[in-house]
Amino acid sequence: MAAVPVRVLDYLTEVEAAAEDILTTKQQIVDLDSKRNRNREALNALKHDMNHTDKVKVCFGSIFIKLPKSRTGEMIERDQEQLGKEINDLHKELKVKVNHLNELQGKPELRGYNLSPLSSDELKAVNSLLRR
Amino acid sequence: VAAQMANTKVPEVRDITRIERIGAHSHIRGLGLDDALEARQVSQGMVGQLAPRRAAGVILEMIKDGHIAGRAVLIAGQPGTGKTAIAMGVAQSLGPDTPFTALAGSEIFSLEMSKTEALSQSFRKAMGVRIKEETEIIEGEVVEIQIDRPATGTGTKVGKLTLKTTEMETIYDLGNKMIESLSKEKVQAGDVITIDKATGKISKLGRSFTRARDYDAMGAQTQFVQCPEGELQKRKEVVHTVSLHEIDVINSRTQGFLALFSGDTGEIKPEVREQINAKVCEWREEGKAEIIPGVLFIDEVHMLDMECFSFLNRALESDLAPVLIMATNRGITRIRGTNYQSPHGIPIDLLDRLLIIVTSPYTEKETRQILKIRCQEEDVELSEEAHTVLTRIGMETSLRYAIQLISTAGLVCRKRKGTEVQVEDIKRVYSLFLDEARSSQYMKEYQDSFLFNETQSTSMDTSQ
Repeated sequence: MAAVPVRVLDYLTEVEAAAEDILTTKQQIVDLDSKRNRNREALNALKHDMNHTDKVKVCFGSIFIKLPKSRTGEMIERDQEQLGKEINDLHKELKVKVNHLNELQGKPELRGYNLSPLSSDELKAVNSLLRR
Repeated sequence: VAAQMANTKVPEVRDITRIERIGAHSHIRGLGLDDALEARQVSQGMVGQLAPRRAAGVILEMIKDGHIAGRAVLIAGQPGTGKTAIAMGVAQSLGPDTPFTALAGSEIFSLEMSKTEALSQSFRKAMGVRIKEETEIIEGEVVEIQIDRPATGTGTKVGKLTLKTTEMETIYDLGNKMIESLSKEKVQAGDVITIDKATGKISKLGRSFTRARDYDAMGAQTQFVQCPEGELQKRKEVVHTVSLHEIDVINSRTQGFLALFSGDTGEIKPEVREQINAKVCEWREEGKAEIIPGVLFIDEVHMLDMECFSFLNRALESDLAPVLIMATNRGITRIRGTNYQSPHGIPIDLLDRLLIIVTSPYTEKETRQILKIRCQEEDVELSEEAHTVLTRIGMETSLRYAIQLISTAGLVCRKRKGTEVQVEDIKRVYSLFLDEARSSQYMKEYQDSFLFNETQSTSMDTSQ
């Protein structure tokens, strides 16, 4: 008799853990995106910098370091690429996790989400169908 | 002036009472099977016919798993034994994602289209293609929009756009083009917008709730939305299901403006279909599309002729063929367009490919149950005795006739301001409307007094 409540508890724990995992990943994506946007702003600021000096002050944690403009730019660009890749990976993980949660809860699997998307040209061709 | 404006602008609101028509099979919600595919005696509007329903359930599961395509099923049975009901049940349980096309055998005989073209089109309407659209969008509430116009009046404009979500806020530098489309959409602070990253297309979703109190005077169309959550740069994935026929249509329309004006699609060239098939197969190889074989239901299939049957034989062999369900109430009869007799009026070679489900006449108890369900569907209250009488009528004449009597008896009952249909009401409509057997009886008795009957037509010369 005691086995049943234990099983229910185990099951609920599993579902909650899976759901928590999804929420964490989502938050991670949000954090990375906000970082990406700040980087983008920095790049724009570098581009439109009015005073024509070679070096700029860059803030690392709690200290400012003077760095050459070109190197700063490169650094941020590399950072952006890295961020883009990480967000992409998280999106992929998220899909797997959502499917896992659905499976645990006995909901049907999301249909067609493992398809690769149509290219923009192909989309243009079928667009009139999709915008009914 | 403002008051006048308000008067003219108020849209006319009319209450339209919905008139619901009740179809012959509107009470069917599914096949009424349990998880083990056993048919429940009464469920989802289905009564009796346990074995055929179970068979249909097995086929349904195979369709859902996508295991069978290019197969054909024949539902055969006497009139009024629930053939169409079973097909409707299959359609209802397939869900909205699997295409289901129904047509009657006589529908394909049209002057505008050849028979085989009409059949091809229905075949392709029953094949679904699932595709995915993926877009990167920036979605946020406009905090501030700042546009600097050059002092000379012409030249490039520059600007800044501040967007926020509940989690973050950021500033975008705007180029000339973006400024143009922003002003074209009349975007202002407080609007919630999305920007398509690939095309730069801006769409307004509405105004943010937090700005709802800024002004009292608002247009009637102003829609208020929540400030978006999460990240600013989002990925949107939408899965669409379209039918092969729909893709055919847009591709045959691209040639010439005449095609656009003809309104209806008309005939589609086989080359177009071949191109589409090739493209869809290519998409499937690349993982860009899933093909969903749907169901094509042909009622009264004995109405098809020899050419159609040979077309069906061929079409079922194509790798893009749906599951074909046919229904007929004929026994051994002539195949249309020939002088040969064949079971169900279907050629033997096609019959050989079919899975055949047979329905049998309803028992008295089942008839009673069906009449009860129909009464609920048609909102007619029936007294116990009237129900028994109606069941007897249903057994002795036909189920369809008894069902017809429900609504007519309901009317008679309402006319005499009764709440429940009594035996008298049934008797009255039974005497008012003849069933098939009594009608033929009447014909035999009074044949001579009708116009154009056999005896008269020989004596009259109608050629002039």
